[in-house]
Amino acid sequence: MPIYRSMPRVGVNYPLNELRDELDRLWTSLTTAPPLHGWGVRPDSDLFPAVNISESDDCITVEAELPGLDAGDVDIAVNGEEIVLKGARPETQLLAETGAAPGAGNGERHASVTWHQRERGAGNFERRLVLPTGVDASRVEAKLVDGVLTVICPKAPELQPHKVTVRTS
Amino acid sequence: MVTPTEPASPTATSTRTEPSPAQPQSSPAAPCLTYQPNVDICDYGTEVLLVTDMPGAKADGMNVSFEDGVLSLFAKVPPRTLPGRQLGHEYGIGDYRRSFRLGEGFDASQISAEYRRGVLTIHVPRLAAVRPRKIEVRPA
Repeated sequence: MPIYRSMPRVGVNYPLNELRDELDRLWTSLTTAPPLHGWGVRPDSDLFPAVNISESDDCITVEAELPGLDAGDVDIAVNGEEIVLKGARPETQLLAETGAAPGAGNGERHASVTWHQRERGAGNFERRLVLPTGVDASRVEAKLVDGVLTVICPKAPELQPHKVTVRTS
Repeated sequence: MVTPTEPASPTATSTRTEPSPAQPQSSPAAPCLTYQPNVDICDYGTEVLLVTDMPGAKADGMNVSFEDGVLSLFAKVPPRTLPGRQLGHEYGIGDYRRSFRLGEGFDASQISAEYRRGVLTIHVPRLAAVRPRKIEVRPA
């Protein structure tokens, strides 16, 4: 939460702007949980999860990093050229209580936890991607291994390249 | 108290922190960068839990060591590439490395670690002598 929003934010006449921004950032870090993607300040990093996408002749592959999630925690919906990744990332202390962090104890510890560092994010997410071409939704396959989600989207048959045989007359 | 030996870099990508702003953009063809993973440090009284995001790593490629009061984590990430031409590239792939300085009162011989779902969890128990405990008051 900003401390002084009424102060002008531009211009060289305010040498304390940087200090105030740093205090804003510190105050925010103390009063709020981190965003899903962590405490990065990359301007375009608001989207979670980050994805890498590639295209080959017959399919489009989408890869996303989703550490802490199980296969059942992610919903993947494919409709034509659009793919939606949806789910929720549990809080660290909930991970401990549900067994993702084995041996961490039981629900009673939820109330007694003290945070020393909080960089991982938690909460609901939804990422909508528009693919460059239509895909065959019935043949889409996905796997989640070691926190890395890979979605293989075969292109719609009519959109796949095909070789044209030239017949001799 | 458990503290990272270095502050989190201000240039973070999706779930990890770039090693250096001057480092070239990671690409599947050059998976040699080392990233600083995001970490949560939770104190449960009897032990401190370090939870780090390390997607793509393998348990047999990890090295967790404790020396001179510093807990060091390293995870080797096997290179992986997507087929065909790249349409979008929002994060890089590389190994993970981070270290933490442990204060007094921890039982280093009982530190344990598990890796599951791309998350490395390290348990750092406190020495029995310094653990919080409830003292029963008996009637005289």
